[in-house]
Formats: sequence, structure tokens, C-alpha cells
Amino acid sequence: MSEKVNKIFKAIADPTRREIFHVLVAAGTALSVNQVSEKFDMSRQGVSKHLKLLREAGMVQVESVGRETYCHADAQPLKEVQNWLDSYDQFWDEKLDLLGKHLDQHNQKKA
Amino acid sequence: MKDVISKEQLFNHSIDAVWRAITDQEEISTWFIEADFKATLGYQYTFKSSEENGCTQITGEIKAATPYELIYTWIVEGTGTETTVRWLLEEVDGGTKLVLEHSGISNYQDNETALAMFNSFNGGWDNCIIELDKFLMKPINV
Repeated sequence: MSEKVNKIFKAIADPTRREIFHVLVAAGTALSVNQVSEKFDMSRQGVSKHLKLLREAGMVQVESVGRETYCHADAQPLKEVQNWLDSYDQFWDEKLDLLGKHLDQHNQKKA
Repeated sequence: MKDVISKEQLFNHSIDAVWRAITDQEEISTWFIEADFKATLGYQYTFKSSEENGCTQITGEIKAATPYELIYTWIVEGTGTETTVRWLLEEVDGGTKLVLEHSGISNYQDNETALAMFNSFNGGWDNCIIELDKFLMKPINV
């Protein structure tokens, strides 16, 4: 498993970060750090800390315009998490396939 | 995110044959994972990892084992996160229907154990799947 996926998990492990990400996705456009702070009744510093972790996970892109920092959501990395869940899905598919083959062999031997 | 992985499969075999395959230690070890397993309520089972291929060990407790329903908890070594696996068999025309449910998957996501799980799975899962492939190849080569 990649370091990248670890970062995504770290990013979404915190409810506040999930909320921030959700707000950015819902906004559908870039928001300034100040705008995000207002929505969460949180200091600019606090928001920046969360945004840093989201950015490290690739879930938020940041752009500086003049004195203001704008950020927007990027949902693409979440696909990696979905892929991981899918690997469990695939695990069971393969196991059940093996179970079928096992039953076929086992019963043939007896016949 | 989905919380339950659900699989349904038909087997062209008697319900008792399928039941044995999922509850008998020897049979489980053949097709699934090398197991220390007894289909008795409360039994603490282990699906063993083999050191050389780095497969993650899985442990749990039997919660139900009455024909034809088998339920056990599923804890991946090093995570402490409990998920649940349920096997339900039903006799159908010409065979047996299996409904498999693996629930509690989202438990991994709400806390830091998800990270631990990722780390313990690191490489291990891929190796397990490679082992599976080898197993699959065997009958063809024979």
C-alpha cells in the first residue's frame, strides 16, 4: 500500500477535515482560507493546519492570489480508498471461486 | 462508503458438502487460508499467516455455528478493528446458495487503526493473492 493512501486515510480520519473537504466539494469553486474559517468558526491557523493535511493527501489544491490563499477540493484521491475497499471485494470473489473449485475436486475424488 | 460486502454464489453441491468446506479445519486450510478452526460457539480461531509470504494473520471468535449459518468476527492482526463475516447456506434446486456478508468494513475508516491496517497489509495482501494464483494453477499443471 502506498504512502499516498496512508495520507488519504490520515486526512479523512478526522471529522473536521471531512467537513472542510465536504464544504469545499459543495462550494464547487475555490474558497479562500478566510471563507473556510468563517464557515467553521475556527481560527485561520486551525483551518490552515487541517488544509495542510488535506493538501498532503492531494484532496485539496491551494493557490495564492495576491495576499489571499484559495483552495479547492479534488475528490480523485478518494478513488484510491475505494480501490482498497474493492480489494476486499476482490478477495472474497477469489476465495469463493476457490471454494467452488475445491468443492468440485473434493466431490469428484469421492465419486 | 459502503459498509457491507455481500456476495451470493450458487454451488452445484449438497448443502452438507458446502457446510463442511466452510467449517472443517482441514478443508478450510485447503481452499481458504491455513486455519486453526473449530465451528464451535466461542472458539477463538486463527487464519495463519505464513512468514515467508508475509500474509497478514486473521483472528476472531465464532459467534454462530448452527447449520447452516456460520458467523465469526474477523480481526486483522495489528488493527484491533473488529469486522464480521457471515456465511449463510440455503438449499436450492440442484445445489446450494451461499450468501456471504462481510460487515463493519467502515470501522477501519473512523480511526487511526485504518492506518495500522494499511501498514500491516503493506505488501502482504498482494503476496496472498500471488499465493492464491499459485494454488489456482496447481490443478491445471497436474
